[in-house]
Amino acid sequence: MRNDPIKYFFIWPALLVVLGVSIFPLIYSLTTSFMSFRLVPPTPSRFVGIDNYTSLLQNPRFWNAIGTTSLIAFLSVALQYVIGFTMALALNARVPGEKLFRVGFLLPMLIAPVAVALIARQMFNPTMGPLNHLMTRLGFPNLPYLTETPWALGAIIAVEVWQWTPFVVLMLLAGLQTLPHDVYEAADIENATPWQQFWGITFPMMLPVSVAVVFVRIIESYKIIDTVFVMTGGGPGVSTETLTLFAYQEGFKKFNLGYTSALSFLFLIVITVIGVVYLAILKPYLEKYR
Amino acid sequence: MSARGLKGGGRLLAFAGCLIWFVLTMFPLYWIVITSFKTPVSVVDGPTYLPFIDFEPTLNAWRDLFSGNRGQFSSTFLASSLIGVTAAVIATAIGAMAAYALVRFPFRVRLGSAILFFVVALGGYLAGTLWFGLPRAPAMLDAFAAALLLSVLANRLPLPGPVLGNDDIVFWFVSQRMFPPIVAAFALFLMYTEFGRMGFKMVDTYLGLTLAYVAFSLPIVVWLMRDFFAALPIEVEEAAMVDNVPSWRIFTDIVVPMTMPGLIATFMITLAFVWNEFLFALFLTTSKWQTLPILVAGQNSQRGDEWWAISAAALIAIIPMMVMAALLSRLMRSGLLLGAIK
Repeated sequence: MRNDPIKYFFIWPALLVVLGVSIFPLIYSLTTSFMSFRLVPPTPSRFVGIDNYTSLLQNPRFWNAIGTTSLIAFLSVALQYVIGFTMALALNARVPGEKLFRVGFLLPMLIAPVAVALIARQMFNPTMGPLNHLMTRLGFPNLPYLTETPWALGAIIAVEVWQWTPFVVLMLLAGLQTLPHDVYEAADIENATPWQQFWGITFPMMLPVSVAVVFVRIIESYKIIDTVFVMTGGGPGVSTETLTLFAYQEGFKKFNLGYTSALSFLFLIVITVIGVVYLAILKPYLEKYR
Repeated sequence: MSARGLKGGGRLLAFAGCLIWFVLTMFPLYWIVITSFKTPVSVVDGPTYLPFIDFEPTLNAWRDLFSGNRGQFSSTFLASSLIGVTAAVIATAIGAMAAYALVRFPFRVRLGSAILFFVVALGGYLAGTLWFGLPRAPAMLDAFAAALLLSVLANRLPLPGPVLGNDDIVFWFVSQRMFPPIVAAFALFLMYTEFGRMGFKMVDTYLGLTLAYVAFSLPIVVWLMRDFFAALPIEVEEAAMVDNVPSWRIFTDIVVPMTMPGLIATFMITLAFVWNEFLFALFLTTSKWQTLPILVAGQNSQRGDEWWAISAAALIAIIPMMVMAALLSRLMRSGLLLGAIK
């Protein structure tokens, strides 16, 4: 560590941009959230205290959005983690064709979620889609993949898993490659089965990486909008509406600014609570294996 | 399964699993590629899979797309590229500078002055709008400047309370990614609208969207680049310091060339993030500077089941990223990203 005033020249541009663009709007929307402020029809803003918050908390649509978002986030991340871990183990064990698989596995996460959702709409089309073709052969024609709530939620989760498992594979693979070899050699001498080796060595040693990956994925999944926006538009009704989509509808369709600001702050609180609880639950395990 | 070599049945099973996932990954991509070459009739007739055998491929959808009567693809593509490349270059440049500073120089920020910043910014804004009757945007700018000045000065005073170090600053940078982007996108939209009322147009401009993307790419850039810089051997820089090479020359002439692969990887990841981003573009653009994700999403509502056109449109957004994926996997195979991802 050396000291040189030039360090300020290095850090200030980034600091200024982030402070200006991401911190300050927060203050703006924080203050707006305590006001009644509409653009359409234009009404002068007026202080209403916590009215926006209370009316949101009484709105079943808000709770529905929280439930839907949580369901999508937790189920899809759980699946991503299980599939991703299996896949990373296989790749790390140099499964035949590993190089080809690596490139293929990387692709989905680089595609715009909007484009992924458009592809998904074709896949899940109940009359002309290839999935329907397959299911018809199996004796289940014209299932309502995107127009009935449980199916639509399943489809959204499937798309999330399809797109983001590669991220989990990528991170876990990097983690697996740093594991020491001598532990496994010792386990071999002890005649530990591969199953025992996984639960006794690999899984505990990968726990810190796993916790980080799942954390990142859950936080990112809670932000989901584009996939849902294109695939179902929140429908049928509002049954697949996520928090971000709800905020978009309120803010951009109704221009109810105070209400939307309050909504986005409640969203922030939800995310923070989930993050804190998640880390608190896992902390003892992390320390146990340290 | 252990983390090492597989034998016999396990190996076969793993291969089968990977193959299934590979097919699941590739089939949808294959599907939209062939669909973009289908005629309307062959789409409506039901699923077909093999060009020349199942259906006769045509270039109609692509011709339609480039003729411009399906939305302004060429100008949107240009807008997307311009915004994406500028934002990624700027974010990588200033993010790398900040990451380097955070790795090599000690910083101390007093918690007190950080809190002071927030309090003065919030209080100044409220005071400006409520007491002095300023419009929102100038009140905000004044409060921001005052808060910045006061907190920088306060940082020199021996305030009580903990002192934050480099790791805390990095955490603060990275935690910006935790915020739901809707909070920021919506607030930015309001703020840009206020600037527009002052006669400075920000909504639907090159500057407005690029600035937002730079700010929201910086956390990733700082996070990735910090690991790259930390992995550099410090001896080279120390040798240069003995020779009295100024710090900025050490950075531009020694450090930057040494981390070039890391910079390129970071640039590409940032570009992919900006290129695919939907929410900010949705809020902050209306027509002229719309990006591809918005145009592609619009195809859906405008054209319903015209899959041939939708597929071609989606591919326009996908192909540049596929090219990048190929380049990125090259970099990955040489192990360059390993340090950054751990």
